[in-house]
Amino acid sequence: MTALTFTLKNGLTHQLDCRRLTNQFLADHTIADIEAMTLESHHKVADWFTVSGSDASNIVFKQTNSYLTHIGHQMTKGRITIEGDCGDYLGQRMQGGSILCKGNAGDRAGDKMRRGILLIEGNTGDCCASSLMAGTLGVMGFTGRYLGYGMKRGTLLLAKQPTEQATWVDCGSHHLPFLKLLYQSFSHFDSQFAKLSSTRAQRWMGDISGIGKGEILFLNPD
Amino acid sequence: MKINGIQIDDTYAEAFNMRGTRVLITAQNLKWAYHAANAMTGFATSVIGCGVEAGIERELTEAQTPDGRPGVSILMFAMGSKVLMQQLETRMGQCVLTCPTAAAFSGIDSEDQISLGKNLRYFGDGYQIAKQLPDANGINQRYWRIPVMDGEFITQETTGMVRAIGGGNFLVLGKSQPQVLAACEAAIDAMKKLPNIIMPFPGGVVRSGSKVGSKYPKMFASTNDAFCPTLKGAVKTALDLDIESVMEIVIDGLTFEDIAFSMKVGIEAVCNLGADAGIQRISAGNYGGKLGPHLFKLHAILGGSS
Repeated sequence: MTALTFTLKNGLTHQLDCRRLTNQFLADHTIADIEAMTLESHHKVADWFTVSGSDASNIVFKQTNSYLTHIGHQMTKGRITIEGDCGDYLGQRMQGGSILCKGNAGDRAGDKMRRGILLIEGNTGDCCASSLMAGTLGVMGFTGRYLGYGMKRGTLLLAKQPTEQATWVDCGSHHLPFLKLLYQSFSHFDSQFAKLSSTRAQRWMGDISGIGKGEILFLNPD
Repeated sequence: MKINGIQIDDTYAEAFNMRGTRVLITAQNLKWAYHAANAMTGFATSVIGCGVEAGIERELTEAQTPDGRPGVSILMFAMGSKVLMQQLETRMGQCVLTCPTAAAFSGIDSEDQISLGKNLRYFGDGYQIAKQLPDANGINQRYWRIPVMDGEFITQETTGMVRAIGGGNFLVLGKSQPQVLAACEAAIDAMKKLPNIIMPFPGGVVRSGSKVGSKYPKMFASTNDAFCPTLKGAVKTALDLDIESVMEIVIDGLTFEDIAFSMKVGIEAVCNLGADAGIQRISAGNYGGKLGPHLFKLHAILGGSS
């Protein structure tokens, strides 16, 4: 089976909520069914996407832009690949599966995420990993303001050094063999994340304005 | 039946049902993986006094372990699931959690899962971290990261528990103690290369084979006098006059076939030395069919008629 692919048509100039385009809503539906689905009050999937493929456990978004919001919202399983930029609330309330964004993501990526793997090869907007409860969020690029705001548990893996924040405490730099397990879980992705190998990371714990059991791991600190 | 001048008795080894598990221990290097594994499998020769029978199955390369570090695999067997769970948890806590750089992972798939690090996580006093990650096959596994003084102790939450067999064995009978020991060492060297089995006694060899019962009412097992060379004239002996030493190799394994094949390999290694090396006979320990349902008939294992 080929990946269920949503190719964005030209002309989108407003935010489009894509929360229904996840495995749990799309499994066992034909392309005709999917194209007829309502995305927002009066927008059908077919209004904005060309749909192809059949494997709803492997969803691909093509020719994307930052107007596409809520991709992977509450997803529970399967994989979503975004071959470009996306908008706000990527992976919000995610409960399982994995998301790979090959471009930039908007604000609040991984907001209230509970489980799964969310990988962003580009930059993120503000409030990345806000109120994140568990799971793993990786970002190769820069991460905007208010990183990990209200984050409770979970792991935020960064390739670029974050700006210091008052509610995150520096726990020093360490060799963490656990990272090898984490990298192995990335090996299934056609991504820069699959090439990570360093087990050296600087670790912060936070957000200590809340329970403070989350962690930020910045790879390869000086 | 004779092989290379060594008589193979027409008898059988009698084995019983057990529960078994496999744990993979990794560390910064093999030296420290062995420290953890040796501690974990220490005092685990016989269920009679140790609760479990355990041993190191084999070494693992970096490519064979979940965290890409060198390691060893351990097999552990008990008479029941409850004891196995209890012993595994205790030994994990005292021998692996404590060992610098060591980590522990599940080494066997099964619908029956038993705790590996599930309860050890509380040692983290609230700072422990759970991670659910896909393994090399894409199947989600749950791990615990427990902060310890050398960094982090990593353990998988559970490992599989399977039905297994304990008590496969054969006896090596020879003219002198050094010759019998050398033959047993040759057998163990050959058998150690095989998967899915362990020989839980010291060096893989046991000299104190037992019989069921005793003249002392409180003892339920006592020395196997029929095979004790110094009692030849005093008891109903199973030994010829020129046999001065008997040693036993006991095997626990995951399946009947694993044990049978290991017995074949071990006996053949002994027989390759030939009668000139002082080995007279190969026999086996059984209790007349009263101990367990699994009978390993020596002649059948070695390709003979019985």
